[in-house]
Amino acid sequence: MKKNIFSFNLKWIFILLLISVFAVGETSSLLAQDRGKEIRIGDGKGDWGYPNPYRHYPRGPGYVRMSWVFDTLIWKDKDGYIPALARSWRYDPDSMSFVFELREGVQWHDGKPFSADDVAFTVDYFIKHPYAWVPMGAVAGAKADGPNRVTITLKKPYAPFLSYVGGTMPILPKHIWENVDDPKRYSDPGAFIGTGPFTFIDFNKAKGTYLYEANEAYYLGQPKVDRLIYIKTGKPMMALLSGKADLVNIRPDMAKILGKKGMTVIENQRGWNKKIMINHKKPPFNDKRFRKALAHAINQQEIIAKAHRGFGSPASFGLLSLDHEFYNPNTPTYAHDPAKAREILESLGFQRNGQGFYEKDGRPLDVELLASNITVAGESVSDRDGEVIKRELEKTGIRVHLINMEQASTDTRIRNWDFDLAISGHGGLLGDARILNMMISPKMKGSVNSARYGANKELLALLNAQVAEMDPEKRKRLVWKIQEVYADELPAISLYYPASMSAYNHEKGVHWYYTKGGLALGVPIPQNKTTLIK
Amino acid sequence: MVSGPHQTAGMLSQVITFFLAALTMVYLSYALPRFLPGDFVTATYAGANVTLTADQEAGLRAYFTQDEGFGDYLLRLATLDWGYSYAFLTPVSDLFLGALPWTLLLLGAANLISMSIGFVTGVEAAWRHGSLTEKGLVGGMTVLEGIPEICTGVILLIVFALNLQWFPAAGAETAYSDLGFFSRLIDIAHHLTLPLATLVLAYFPGNFLLTRNSMMMVIKAHYIETARAKGLPPRRIRYAHAARNALQPIVTRFGLRLAFMITGALVVERINSYPGLGTLLFNAIQARDLPVIQTVVLFSSLIVLVVILGMEGVYRIIDPRIRHAR
Repeated sequence: MKKNIFSFNLKWIFILLLISVFAVGETSSLLAQDRGKEIRIGDGKGDWGYPNPYRHYPRGPGYVRMSWVFDTLIWKDKDGYIPALARSWRYDPDSMSFVFELREGVQWHDGKPFSADDVAFTVDYFIKHPYAWVPMGAVAGAKADGPNRVTITLKKPYAPFLSYVGGTMPILPKHIWENVDDPKRYSDPGAFIGTGPFTFIDFNKAKGTYLYEANEAYYLGQPKVDRLIYIKTGKPMMALLSGKADLVNIRPDMAKILGKKGMTVIENQRGWNKKIMINHKKPPFNDKRFRKALAHAINQQEIIAKAHRGFGSPASFGLLSLDHEFYNPNTPTYAHDPAKAREILESLGFQRNGQGFYEKDGRPLDVELLASNITVAGESVSDRDGEVIKRELEKTGIRVHLINMEQASTDTRIRNWDFDLAISGHGGLLGDARILNMMISPKMKGSVNSARYGANKELLALLNAQVAEMDPEKRKRLVWKIQEVYADELPAISLYYPASMSAYNHEKGVHWYYTKGGLALGVPIPQNKTTLIK
Repeated sequence: MVSGPHQTAGMLSQVITFFLAALTMVYLSYALPRFLPGDFVTATYAGANVTLTADQEAGLRAYFTQDEGFGDYLLRLATLDWGYSYAFLTPVSDLFLGALPWTLLLLGAANLISMSIGFVTGVEAAWRHGSLTEKGLVGGMTVLEGIPEICTGVILLIVFALNLQWFPAAGAETAYSDLGFFSRLIDIAHHLTLPLATLVLAYFPGNFLLTRNSMMMVIKAHYIETARAKGLPPRRIRYAHAARNALQPIVTRFGLRLAFMITGALVVERINSYPGLGTLLFNAIQARDLPVIQTVVLFSSLIVLVVILGMEGVYRIIDPRIRHAR
């Protein structure tokens, strides 16, 4: 009797479990019924803020979520710049101004007509209420000449204008924003009225999901899908294979499996680099000879092989990507050469102690190396480079204390110059060469991946000159020189470009691609709005 | 039940103790998150596609970090103003209440299920002390208890989401599915299965072992023998006489699990990309979104207090000895 009841209990629990598993499994096929054509994009973090200029997070995925709703004057497709709200544009060197001829008949999502007034208003608004993505320092103002022409005048020649303003600045509707004083807090539905191919419907903060619907009246063509949805998923491969997502970022080692399963895998050019930040304000790191010894001690290939299973390629020491049109092939390089590194260290007065580590005047050379998870194209990636670098430096005779911390803690120490060496990284290496100024200039005090290096006056002069040079050929020569000087100074050491890949389900009829030079000012994400236009 | 002067004084001192504890927690929720290195501006703009000059940084910092004293913080809380999230630029209450139902659903269901299954199997196993089933169950549960949820969670995902594709790997429901009420319920249950199973597998062995052990002590008691001698049906002896007295530890465990509701599911929420307070807290800490961290920390500590207070009451119901104790 006793035994009976017990086995009865267990049996029922098991049967109930089985029934519920199958019942639920069955209904899932029911759910897959047609809801109109839609595209689902998966992302590991999910939440990137509300999709408008003042409320999206200042990273690439935040900008891209906004770019479906708001248009720029010009945009990029596979081959380069294409007209967007502007039909054509030209630069007039005498008046230092860009003249944009605007498209006619464009409507805002609320049905009001778009005009040159909106563009002029947007320029003024961004001057008054800065939007970090669009630096307005070089812009004097804008004027509408009639309904379809706008002239944006510069204070001084500014070569990155087309990339940073023309191709990145989202145009705001004047009739809505002229009444808004605190744009960050403005959250009415009007805050999401743009001219883009999709209208913004919902952002679920808890779930990290976004919903957009097609703007049938889009001036560049009808959208290919009725709905565009972002979902959050920590398991991109599973989401793609189970049909929950149609496009995801993937780790390079998933590429082979996904290819076999019929997914299309695309790889980006080399636009993102991992690098070692150096506290060049304190000895011995303030001596460029010491920094060169570090460069010789580090083996770029070894990091790629050990920490990334070979998925990556060694970086240029001149910062700009090897794929950039302004890349200088004569940039100095530092071959992996521990003997050379030791030679330099010994010439600087360091001597090996009994344990084989260097010391100077009886004080050991102890170097602290900070490492943390780093966000790459929106996905947080844990760091495995620290261990490899530590081993290589110690093989050379430099004792290293590796400290792994959470990203914001590491970033804060870098920002406050409270570190020796730190592993960091950033993208933008395929976009406009202004990235050199951002990643080198000492003015970027609030940045944690900029070298903020002011010790070489020639370098600073070159940086200022290149952004003011409107002739592309002359500018290219300046940028070449910058790479040579930078690689000789080594205010930071670029390590490698990790392979950056996405995979998508081509059965959906959408063929995604990585935009050459990145979206807008250089976002390395293949979610270009032109892909979803017929 | 007549409350004597003794009890009234006891209650009063208890209330004062709880009030002081609550105040301490409010202070900690205010002060602790401030010790995090870095602030919102650095955490958000580091590694962004934009770099900040000193002026830009100062401007943002002035906008985002209005420093308030503890007095202002208290006053704000008293008026039920939970502040404004730096990252979302929306009221914290929106974020908190948006995440709360999912945590309640996941953790509530996990605790209820694992407590009921654990309790019943524990009672039955203790009753069959010495049998092969009991030995097998105790051995199996001890092993299961040792496997962390991060491990079971990933295994379940690989088997049921990736290979068999019976269950979705992420989320709480199909995003923007426009389903009817019942289909939506099924969809939610479908998404809930894997995270729920992970938590049940993590919680239930502990409940089983705890119940079995307390039952082992109870069934040796004389009153059980008396009940048997009276010829009562075995099931009645087991549950009405024995199990009731073994209930207290399991209720304590249930309460404490609920109390750690917010942080308890953090790992599972992360693995399954499930929305909830754990995810909210995790993201807020990463972004140094101070008002959100403060609110979640405050609530998670206050819940512990409330649950402990509530359990006192429950003990009185399930165990008359406490009610009559001085």
